[in-house]
Amino acid sequence: MTKLLITEITRMGPAFCVIGLQREEERIQSVRSIPASGHSWSHFPHQRGDILDCALAPFPAAKPHIEDRTATRGFQKSSTVAEIETVSYLRKAETAESLPDLFGCAIHENRNGTGLHAMPSEARRSICGCETQNLRLELYANELRATLALLSGEVLRDLPVVDRDWRDFIDAALSPSRGANRTARLERFLNSQFHYKIMSCPHHFIRLGLTRPYHEVCWLMLDTLFPLPRLEWLQEF
Amino acid sequence: MASNSSYRFNEKLRCLLEDCFRREAGAEVAIPGDDVDLIEAGVLDSMAWVSFLRALETASGSFDLGSHVNGRTASFAALLAALEDGASTPTPPEHSESAQSLAFTANLTAIAASSSTVGSRVIPAEDVDRAFGMPVGKLRGRAGIASLAYATEGENELTLGGRAAEEALRAADCGAQQLDWIIATSETHHDYPALSARLHSRLLVRENCAALDVGGACLGLLNALAVAQSLIGSGQAKTILVVTADVHSRTLTPGRVAGEFGGLFGDGASAFLLRGADGNGASGGYLLGEFMFGCAGQYAAAIQISDPKDGSLNVQFDGEALSRAAITRMEKVLTAVELRSGIPRTSVGGFATHQPNPRLVTLLAKQCGVAKSAFPPVARVSGNLGSSTCGAALHESLRSASKEAPSDRRPIFLASLGPGLLFGGGWLTPSV
Repeated sequence: MTKLLITEITRMGPAFCVIGLQREEERIQSVRSIPASGHSWSHFPHQRGDILDCALAPFPAAKPHIEDRTATRGFQKSSTVAEIETVSYLRKAETAESLPDLFGCAIHENRNGTGLHAMPSEARRSICGCETQNLRLELYANELRATLALLSGEVLRDLPVVDRDWRDFIDAALSPSRGANRTARLERFLNSQFHYKIMSCPHHFIRLGLTRPYHEVCWLMLDTLFPLPRLEWLQEF
Repeated sequence: MASNSSYRFNEKLRCLLEDCFRREAGAEVAIPGDDVDLIEAGVLDSMAWVSFLRALETASGSFDLGSHVNGRTASFAALLAALEDGASTPTPPEHSESAQSLAFTANLTAIAASSSTVGSRVIPAEDVDRAFGMPVGKLRGRAGIASLAYATEGENELTLGGRAAEEALRAADCGAQQLDWIIATSETHHDYPALSARLHSRLLVRENCAALDVGGACLGLLNALAVAQSLIGSGQAKTILVVTADVHSRTLTPGRVAGEFGGLFGDGASAFLLRGADGNGASGGYLLGEFMFGCAGQYAAAIQISDPKDGSLNVQFDGEALSRAAITRMEKVLTAVELRSGIPRTSVGGFATHQPNPRLVTLLAKQCGVAKSAFPPVARVSGNLGSSTCGAALHESLRSASKEAPSDRRPIFLASLGPGLLFGGGWLTPSV
């Protein structure tokens, strides 16, 4: 039985991808729990910070998704840790300060427009945490995108934000029940209070991930953004 | 009923939209109907949708498309409406039928004359290999450099820049007292008085001729041209001298930097005399088109240079990453210039681009599908001249064009890069 601290729940199309941390001897490493069939969960009732008892079996995943493990039975919640503690564990897992160190390979830009990708054969992992010098979220043509500066000063633009909680928060902010000018109000929030709340938070931390190979490349995405959004922030805009 | 000019303008928007769409979706994908939601219909995924819009922003010069489209469908109709909204301010008349751009500068700016010069000492690449302790033949074999132009003992940024400036003034029959501004750029001159001030004194221009230094390293020439164009366009100046001057051979020396980096650079300068053009243009000369700039921060770590103030020089240089970045970015810039100007790259007479080294120029030409001969061989014979590389290439392109009949002259594309990774591009069209 493995104890898995849930750190990422990402929205990938209609399903969820779940990543957690497990301790192996003195090492803390990321593990992506996948169902026996497929790569994602259609329903995942747990939260980040939950510690789940589960049975994970090695899975012969194609590079760079070496973190994949098959869940051979259901999850049993055993306890929960606070957000700040979750981040403290993430800081002990896979981290990097510069672009080439994120996934152990060169990162390429899309030749036509925007977006960054790694080559599946070159990338050594598919998940990595990092600190940021700055971070901005933007609703761009109805898509949630992140732009951030790593500690190295390298800038990553237009990363799709797949963090379930942040996506839910944005959906809630745009809900018709919230009245008029919702998009403009959300844009104002993202340009002002959001930035202050995120960058002033002592446990601000992000995790970046790689998509499964698509047209022979793996795109970078923002898997997790700490702190997680709070529903009461919706009252502020 | 829409006027002819608004009809043409809308047609240009549609062409641009379709061009960008084809680049993203692939040439084989049919152009969808205006009201088709590209994401819901599965024509583009969300990554490709955003990528398509960003490319469209760059090509159109409308930099807030995403915000305009928020809450609307992901359709051509929504994009056309957003593009038309963004271009609702009246635009001055076009200056050339060949330059079918979406936005135009208020007053036209022409290059009345140009010049370039290099350090007087020509050193075979093999001698530079030896000086840096590299295997003999490395610079020629790996980078394609045949020789490097180094400044002699009596030459520096001021003498080289001054020489180029005087030649440009002479070529334009322009007295130094006619200058309203001197705009200088150099990646190696960091002393005070600044280079523009020293050129001001050397050229004996009017006391009330303004002097300005702009940065950007290898992108410096494009920055300077854009500033000059704005000053002329806004009516604040009539005649401006833009000067680049770079002397690397005293900074990037053996023992201070690795030969794989320092060995690539030579010394040179260039100068351009810019004037406001009347409605008929500057007959026989070239008119500045638009400029576009940006910074691709993901490459910020590929080249970093700092002065630790102890006589040494800190150079962080990831040659492989920088080469990859240079090719990708310059191709992107040239594509954006092509889209925004409406000038096909195949009809361009010269590519005055930065040339980090000759091998990369060959790769860039191949990647862009254009003849290598359209890139003047600056770096091959003189080395990477910093901000003066683009200047020397532009001067050479203008010189080649001047040998042709005015009606046969073709547009020139500009593209350059600087640490950051700063990038910029633009175009020139022959005046008719």
